[in-house]
Amino acid sequence: MSPDRGRWWRFAAILLITAVVLVPVAAVLILSLRPGVASGSRAAFGLANFTHVLTDIPTLTWLGNSLGVTLATVAVSVAVAAPAGYVLSRGRSRAVSTYSLLLFVVQSLPVITAVIPLFILFARVGLVDNLVGLGIVYVGASMSVAIWMMAAYIDSIPVSLEEAAWIDGASLFTGFTRIVLRNSLPGLLSTAIFTFLVSWNDYLVAIVFLRSQERFTLPIGVQTFFQQNGTDWGSVMALAVIMMLPPIIVFATLNKHFSVGGIGGSLAGT
Amino acid sequence: MTLTAACPKTEVARTRKPRRARRTLLVLVAPSLVLLLLINAYPLVYAALQSVRDGSLINAGDYVGFENYRATLTSPAFWRSVQFTLIFTVVGVFGSWLGGLGLALLLRTRIPGRTVFKTLLLLPWVVPVVVSSTAWNWLVATPQSPLPSLAQALGLGTPLFLADPVLAKVTVCVFKVWISVPFMMMLIGAALAGVDRTVYEAADVDGATRWQQFRHITLPMISRSTYISWILMTIFCVNDFPTIFLLTGGGPVDATTSLVVLSYRTVFQNFQVGPGVAIAFVMTASLVVVSVALYRQIRKAHV
Repeated sequence: MSPDRGRWWRFAAILLITAVVLVPVAAVLILSLRPGVASGSRAAFGLANFTHVLTDIPTLTWLGNSLGVTLATVAVSVAVAAPAGYVLSRGRSRAVSTYSLLLFVVQSLPVITAVIPLFILFARVGLVDNLVGLGIVYVGASMSVAIWMMAAYIDSIPVSLEEAAWIDGASLFTGFTRIVLRNSLPGLLSTAIFTFLVSWNDYLVAIVFLRSQERFTLPIGVQTFFQQNGTDWGSVMALAVIMMLPPIIVFATLNKHFSVGGIGGSLAGT
Repeated sequence: MTLTAACPKTEVARTRKPRRARRTLLVLVAPSLVLLLLINAYPLVYAALQSVRDGSLINAGDYVGFENYRATLTSPAFWRSVQFTLIFTVVGVFGSWLGGLGLALLLRTRIPGRTVFKTLLLLPWVVPVVVSSTAWNWLVATPQSPLPSLAQALGLGTPLFLADPVLAKVTVCVFKVWISVPFMMMLIGAALAGVDRTVYEAADVDGATRWQQFRHITLPMISRSTYISWILMTIFCVNDFPTIFLLTGGGPVDATTSLVVLSYRTVFQNFQVGPGVAIAFVMTASLVVVSVALYRQIRKAHV
């Protein structure tokens, strides 16, 4: 078999695999564009489902809630994880390695264990059915991995750069902000993408914490609609498309900066 | 970022004012520490206390000793959940690892449109579970759904993917693998990128077969990432809630009730906080044991 022929065989194989794997995603797209029976439209394709969910259902409120919580979570997570990752990467004391191991243990705990007590605590201080409360839980849930990712990236920045600055009289903090942070854009982006996915895709925390319809995030909103109108697949799929677009856009534009490899590298380095 | 060992750590204390440096480090780590204590440590302690009480979501209840644990460990529902959680985890970890490894190896070769495929194949992992579970429901849930109809047209009967206990287990596991393969593909792809290609050329010269090259070069070179991926995926599978809950709700007749689903139902549907938390704790303890065992393997696998 000539090498060129092998290449096309592999192309055929990967094409087939991709096609099969993407059937569910394609189904969502196609069904969302097929007008339902209720709309009375006879066209094969159209945006009737989208106009329906955007005007008759509080979709825009849910979308706004999801975006707000997610963006706040990403901002806070990155702001907390970057300095902690720096300490994990550069620090050498026993306290630092203990902290790193602690983060590993925390990460392996099921979210459900934390959710139950947090629900009880948040109920007391009015953070149940509250988007701020939801954001706080997301930050906590994604923090370990976010710190690892930052630490792994900062590991790849040579310390000599900071050392040169220290000799010039810069403080440790200046070295962190002026040199490390400035060179960490890919690491910061990876961390941001990761926390974005955690928060945007969450279902468990939201279903426990959110009660009233005007505070729902998209995953919860879709679920209620799905249960009430089990057969109106067009509308459900239109909502699904709205929900999957932001992560797809984020990945399509930032994919080359994203690496899960860092999680493992940092885990093994502790 | 690669999977190679972390850079040698440097002593920050080399700055001229070590005490000030230490204080700066403390300030930098403080926000994460506060959050860790508030969102992770506090609930853990609180849950530990709840697990030995008979309280509800509103009141703390009375101390009942290890009654909740005894009830949990003697309940048949618990052991059925353990069984399903094990199946789900083993299939999820190794299914997604094999799939991810296969795709990563395939995508490492020269194929037209490689980057496009790489991106498209990430979709199952990127798309929210609520969306993909909706799509899978549409595909398989009722006898009139596309997949059962297709099976019928092919003369295979009408499989009830979510109503038959055995088939529901299989469907949930396949769904989990479908979601997780892209993650494994990325992780293994990153590890494969770090393998020096000249090693293969040398092996070619020595007349090693493809299988020998895979077995004796590729696998050992990515062993560390393999262990890491197994640890992470074990944690992801055991702790998974939406994948199972959104597709089957734990049914039919508890066939796909994993420990997390059982814990969720016990607390939020039956309002028995103590037993629910006890389930979560038994699960967490086993998970920590497994993670630590695998964690040791990573350290042994230092190349």
